[in-house]
Amino acid sequence: MKKVGIPQGLFYYYYYPLWEAFFRFLGLVVVRSSPTNKKIVDDGVTLAVDEACFPIKVYYGHVNELKGKGVDYIFLPRLVSIEPKSYICPKFMGLPDMIRAGIKDLPEVIDITVDLSRGDKGWQKELARLGKILNVNYRQIKKAYNYALEEYFSYRMIARQGYTRDEAIKVWQGEEISLPLDTPLHIGVLGHGYSLYDDFISMSVIKKLRGMGVKVYLSEHLPTEGIEKEASTLPKRVFWTLGRKMVGSALYMDKSPDIDGIIYVACFGCGPDSLIGEVIERKVKKPFMLLTLDEHTGEGGIITRLEAFCDMLARRKKRDEGYLPCYG
Amino acid sequence: MICYLGVDIGSVSSNFVLVDQRGKVREKIYLRTQGNPVKAIREGYMKIKEGIEGKIDIRGVGTTGSGRHLASILLGADIVKNEITAHAVAASYLYPDVRTIIEIGGQDSKIIIMENGIVTDFAMNTVCAAGTGSFLDQQAARLNIPIEDFGRKAVASSQPVRIAGRCGVFAESDMIHKQQMGYPVEDILMGLCEALVRNYMNNVAKGKRIAEPVVFQGGVAANIGLRKAFEKFLGCRVIVPEHYNVMGAIGAAILAKEYVEGYGRRSLFKGDDFILTGDFVSQSFTCNGCANLCEVVCIKRDDTPLAYWGDRCLRWESSLGRGSRENLKVV
Ligand code: SF4
Ligand code: SF4
Repeated sequence: MKKVGIPQGLFYYYYYPLWEAFFRFLGLVVVRSSPTNKKIVDDGVTLAVDEACFPIKVYYGHVNELKGKGVDYIFLPRLVSIEPKSYICPKFMGLPDMIRAGIKDLPEVIDITVDLSRGDKGWQKELARLGKILNVNYRQIKKAYNYALEEYFSYRMIARQGYTRDEAIKVWQGEEISLPLDTPLHIGVLGHGYSLYDDFISMSVIKKLRGMGVKVYLSEHLPTEGIEKEASTLPKRVFWTLGRKMVGSALYMDKSPDIDGIIYVACFGCGPDSLIGEVIERKVKKPFMLLTLDEHTGEGGIITRLEAFCDMLARRKKRDEGYLPCYG
Repeated sequence: MICYLGVDIGSVSSNFVLVDQRGKVREKIYLRTQGNPVKAIREGYMKIKEGIEGKIDIRGVGTTGSGRHLASILLGADIVKNEITAHAVAASYLYPDVRTIIEIGGQDSKIIIMENGIVTDFAMNTVCAAGTGSFLDQQAARLNIPIEDFGRKAVASSQPVRIAGRCGVFAESDMIHKQQMGYPVEDILMGLCEALVRNYMNNVAKGKRIAEPVVFQGGVAANIGLRKAFEKFLGCRVIVPEHYNVMGAIGAAILAKEYVEGYGRRSLFKGDDFILTGDFVSQSFTCNGCANLCEVVCIKRDDTPLAYWGDRCLRWESSLGRGSRENLKVV
């Protein structure tokens, strides 16, 4: 059986179940790189071009690890657009080529282009091309794709229940993970899935908050229509998919009465993040914190900010609910 | 005397206070951490006890600062709080209607916005040295001015020189340039104060609405030139509290007092025997458990491990068999 390697970075968190089910249906064995660790990061930083943002650097490290795992193919999709009239960050467009240039002697790269900005047509062509690479006829490919979509939707349903995307992937694979209990403090956390759900990149922001007794709300837990509706209130349409979702989610959270505050986790060196972060900061009325991460971020500083933010919300809440000021 | 101990362990300084039952500061100690927090904690504890005549009865301990967990392990803290909350509590304890807290320490700086005694917004800078006390230390050393005289000399200036304050490196070369052009030293000193204030306002306080009363605290608040520069920039009075350099520790002590009194708890304070007789060491090693190769720090007392840090998977910490970070819960 042939093996296909999938790097555990970037759009992995959004689409792994789709990809895995697709290849599995066609009889391939899927091999993942390890969850991000220090070696992957160090390798990625060395191999990647300097201008790359942190999540992309880390992605290089994942590809590099897969190279040594004896796979026949490496799956590096070229994501351009995942919905009509909207785009993914332009840095993804040339990614497969950049990686080929940066990492020598890769196994065969599956670099199909995902561009749904002008509808389905080009996509069908790409699926056919994928069939050629894998040596499978088009009907089989279509079948596999439909199967994969179903799996993908079931994964999305799992994520909606209150899990993070990385937890949802595990649950989808059959692991049992109990949902965190409800606690008095509720915080909405936003950010690119590939930084937020990568424990190494985000320094486990979500786990840290939960450890402080916070119930974390994520974009995935909100109704899609609600997010889109809020996003459409902006004077100019954000034609950048993830950014629009984040602004929409922030506005939605701002209105929902059971969320006490909002944290935006941004990546240092990410243009879209600094832009979106600022838009959100200006629009949101609830307590808001922008947390910027990079390779050199000290964990202590992150913990201090998170704790201070939680303290602030907890003490406000106590005051508003009419308790005496209590410093615990 | 019944009292509460507040400890603030930073990378540059370690501060200790004892407050009495009425919340009044009875003794304070300000030490250099000098890269050895374990030593600083024990030394500070011994010194602060010496400062008080008669027997003292410590009923609660609060810790803050980047070494707050370490201090909590050594002393037995009832409450472990981040620096933002601790500083805010201290300032609003002394000035209940405070709206803005400017805090500049040796290694970092922060701004805290308050309303009715509650933090409503904050920001901190831990990256850029140009907005912190170490910047002034360096420049003072360059000009051969003892840091203690810096402020007094600076306020003698009538015509401060404009110095680029965006970043420490630029500021330094700009300052040398101005010095060579023959500007009087007091004008350069005041220029440095103004550069630091501009840097702080543009980086740390960016986008925040500054309302009165404004309290200025942290080790750097001793510098009267800096206070004047803030007053000039903000166009309002800036208050420097009496115990400006130990405010974090005061906040920690107040928090411990409220906590112990409020919940009627017995303190977790370890007492002299534990703190003063044992041999404490902190060791670090690289864990080979997986590809993360974590730098794990272990605190031991006479070969018994008390706490671990730095293990991403908590494998070492959980080997101690209890939630040693339980007291971090906010709610
Ligand atoms: S959106 Fe930001 S983090 Fe994501 S790929 Fe683009 S630059 Fe990198
Ligand atoms: S402490 Fe845990 S995460 Fe870190 S290297 Fe050891 S096993 Fe890996």
